[in-house]
Amino acid sequence: MDRRDFIKLTAVTGTTATLASCGNPEHQLIRFVPDEDLVPGVAEWKPSVCPMCSAGCGVTARVMEADVETVRNGQSGVVKMGVAKKLEGQADSPINHGGLCARGQAAIQITYHPDRITQPMKRSGARGSGDFKPVSWDEAIAELVSHLDALAAAGDQKSLAYVARPRPNRRMVLAAEFVVGFGAPAPYGFEPFDDRVLRLANAMSWAKEQLATVDLARARFVISFGADFLGTWNSPVAQSFGYGAMRQARPGVRGAFVQVESRMSLTGASADHWIPVKPGTEGVLALGLAHVILANKLRPATTGPVAESIAGWSNGLSDYTPARVEQITGVAASRVERLARELTDVSPAVAIVGGAPLAHTNGLFTALAVNALSELLGAANAPGGLYFTPGRDTSHPAAFTADVFNRAKVLLLDNANPIYGSPKATKVREALDKVPFIASFGSFVDDTSVHADLLLPDHSFLESWVDSMPESGSIEAVTIVAGPVMKPLHNTRSTVDVLIEVAGKLKSPIALPWKTAEEVAKSAGPPSPAVQRVQPPMNRHHTKAQYEEPFFDGEASQYPLHFQPYLSSQFGDGSAANLPWLQEMPDPLTSAMWSSWVEINPQTAARAQIAQGDLIEITSQHGSVRAPAMIFPGIAPDVVAMPVGNGHETFTRYASNRGANPIAILAPLTVEPTGSLAWAATRVKIARAGGNDGSLIMFAGEMREHPHEHETR
Amino acid sequence: MAHKWGMAVDLDRCTGCGACVTACHAENNIPTVGPEQAARGRAMHWIRVERYWEGDFPDVRLKFRPVMCQQCDAAPCEPVCPTYASHHTEDGLNAQVYNRCIGTRYCANACPYNVRFFDFFNPQWPKPLQLQLNPDVSVREVGVMEKCTFCVQRISAAQIDAKANKKELKDGDVKPACVQSCSAKALVFGDLNDPESEVARLARSPRGSKLLEDLGTLPNVTYLERQTQV
Repeated sequence: MDRRDFIKLTAVTGTTATLASCGNPEHQLIRFVPDEDLVPGVAEWKPSVCPMCSAGCGVTARVMEADVETVRNGQSGVVKMGVAKKLEGQADSPINHGGLCARGQAAIQITYHPDRITQPMKRSGARGSGDFKPVSWDEAIAELVSHLDALAAAGDQKSLAYVARPRPNRRMVLAAEFVVGFGAPAPYGFEPFDDRVLRLANAMSWAKEQLATVDLARARFVISFGADFLGTWNSPVAQSFGYGAMRQARPGVRGAFVQVESRMSLTGASADHWIPVKPGTEGVLALGLAHVILANKLRPATTGPVAESIAGWSNGLSDYTPARVEQITGVAASRVERLARELTDVSPAVAIVGGAPLAHTNGLFTALAVNALSELLGAANAPGGLYFTPGRDTSHPAAFTADVFNRAKVLLLDNANPIYGSPKATKVREALDKVPFIASFGSFVDDTSVHADLLLPDHSFLESWVDSMPESGSIEAVTIVAGPVMKPLHNTRSTVDVLIEVAGKLKSPIALPWKTAEEVAKSAGPPSPAVQRVQPPMNRHHTKAQYEEPFFDGEASQYPLHFQPYLSSQFGDGSAANLPWLQEMPDPLTSAMWSSWVEINPQTAARAQIAQGDLIEITSQHGSVRAPAMIFPGIAPDVVAMPVGNGHETFTRYASNRGANPIAILAPLTVEPTGSLAWAATRVKIARAGGNDGSLIMFAGEMREHPHEHETR
Repeated sequence: MAHKWGMAVDLDRCTGCGACVTACHAENNIPTVGPEQAARGRAMHWIRVERYWEGDFPDVRLKFRPVMCQQCDAAPCEPVCPTYASHHTEDGLNAQVYNRCIGTRYCANACPYNVRFFDFFNPQWPKPLQLQLNPDVSVREVGVMEKCTFCVQRISAAQIDAKANKKELKDGDVKPACVQSCSAKALVFGDLNDPESEVARLARSPRGSKLLEDLGTLPNVTYLERQTQV
């Protein structure tokens, strides 16, 4: 007997004791024997893909043996199995180069979350009550099949809707094959703050409907218009790696960096110069810079689609003189002149755009303007500039709107949380209430899936076959495929396998090219034609972009402040708010933990006699939320900002009813022609609603162990 | 020659993202205390990102500084400990022996960097969150003081591995969790006694300084100043 067999035998003996009370333990016993070759105390490292955002960072999980209380075949017992202990960035990943952001580090808590859905459930109380009763997988799948068969029998296949949190992986391809094969529209993607506007602009400028990879490491000058590229935008870990190299990896060369935005982001804090502009005028500054460059022949004038997309380019952008730019943006004319020269003093220089500037009603103009500036700086497809990862410019799912729910009779929810991520004024909640049957694949009961009739919990990413084909983050195309890091903890099932099983059990089965989740993950090849493309609706040769004043919801006299929600470093779009490590991680710019807050310029606060921690009511034309005041030096006096992340009605013990959701009070304005939410276009007023109620929790500021004891509410 | 472990923090690379904070929690079994206790100043972060605002809008700047135990050569926390729980190791670490600690908290009072944390409660991990615990790091119980160890378990593991494979420990073989996670490569760890090591090179940088160095604590963490562009 070698050592490994001895260990297995020990495990068998151990589980026999646990199962002594079961009827026929020897039948079950085999299922509890570890078949992994783990040596106690010795770690193995297994690859996977971070699920937290679309960047697709490669991770490795440290796997060690542990005693796990689990249920196998209806019997509970303790089993020794290899479990993930820690996630680290994969050192050789061309995206993240070994790094991993805070959200990625915390992703392991998805698997071990105490409020994870551990088995299929069926609604037992009223819709939205959160009362569910356990059912078997056979029952659950039969129920879903019967609803789909009923749709098919009525010839109403198009009333099936699949709404997913989009990820660049083959699971999305499978979902598309499934629903299109059924006869329904391709899956809809829901992200609260999506990048559709920028993708469309890139399609018009460079015929690439995708986000660019920014070659920061080789850049000498970066000007970013609102893009939080070190925090939440695009591929933050890849960009942080490039940023570090840009600053200090080249002897004698330190890349310069200017950030243009009206509320200082995590990224803005690292800028050499932080330039606040009036919200919605960022594109004017970009064209003002282009005007100075063209007028002084600092760079050769560009032609072609990018230049042609901008009205007035051929006559030197005469509408965007520094004096006019000062008038519109609030940036001094002399500074525009100087900045244009600084941008062209060194090479390569690049301009990027993302975030709030694209979330105004004129967002497409802003994106095209910054693209044109980048082209003029010679940044397209050049070292230190913008690259488009080859083969990644297709297959972005169609945009979700409330209308999807209005038309749906059977709704499949795949990790999307549109109830949290949509303004109340879009009436998404009312539309969801009318959907006759809702099934959710997510691992948690959240604001949306609490309304589901059927919960079909997926494995966590560590328990699944995973893959990713990220659209950016690396100049070379990257495809990651990885097997499960560990065995499932609970009675969950891979959503991919569930879809394949359902497809086969329908009265008229859907023919799918794969039989298992493993095959799906491993299947290479071009994306499915079933996935619709967002077609650029503007004809780039005829319609030229020019500055139009952004429209803001709410009269300035009544609602004097611009309202800017922003994706938070801890929670991203809010889908990570259930993880305790992230709740207790101090926000980098404020040190707040477990909280929501509203950021107010010190002067604005003083005028309104608002002190740090005072309870503030923020009111738009579409409702109000309350949050404690955070006096914040890095914000314009006429702007208030709130982090997205907290304010969930239902999202596990750690996030339910904690803080406030800024998205709720946004106006239902869109950026045309993409239909994306213009989330920075709402005006609000603020009023002091009370004193410090202790809901603003900060790590810094007070002596530890001598805390200011807050009065109880 | 004995090792002398040290760290360099390049503030020109640091973006303040906070990945190190979460990585440290994951590696070192640091409990989350929850909102009520956090409001009472009892949250534990062995590494934190400090922030310093300068100027007023619109000419406002924000500077970040990750702060962890500075592993001082003349550590104020050590001589005040009545039980020698807080002591100096041969390779230059300020170690904390949890079994010796009786929770006087003198060390936390003496530490000018505010990096020592007291366990007010027994930590709790609602099942199955306990599966995330690192078996290489002891879980601290109520009444003891804890702090950054430079991930001493990773140092030991690398040394054991080198010995088992009859290799010399190379520069870069040891990476504390914060250093490993850092996307911008702002954190560098290594042996200050090896003049060729990356950390020793950075420690000699003209941009380098020590935190509160006029206190005479002789920290082994070097901060490289963020640069400014005209």
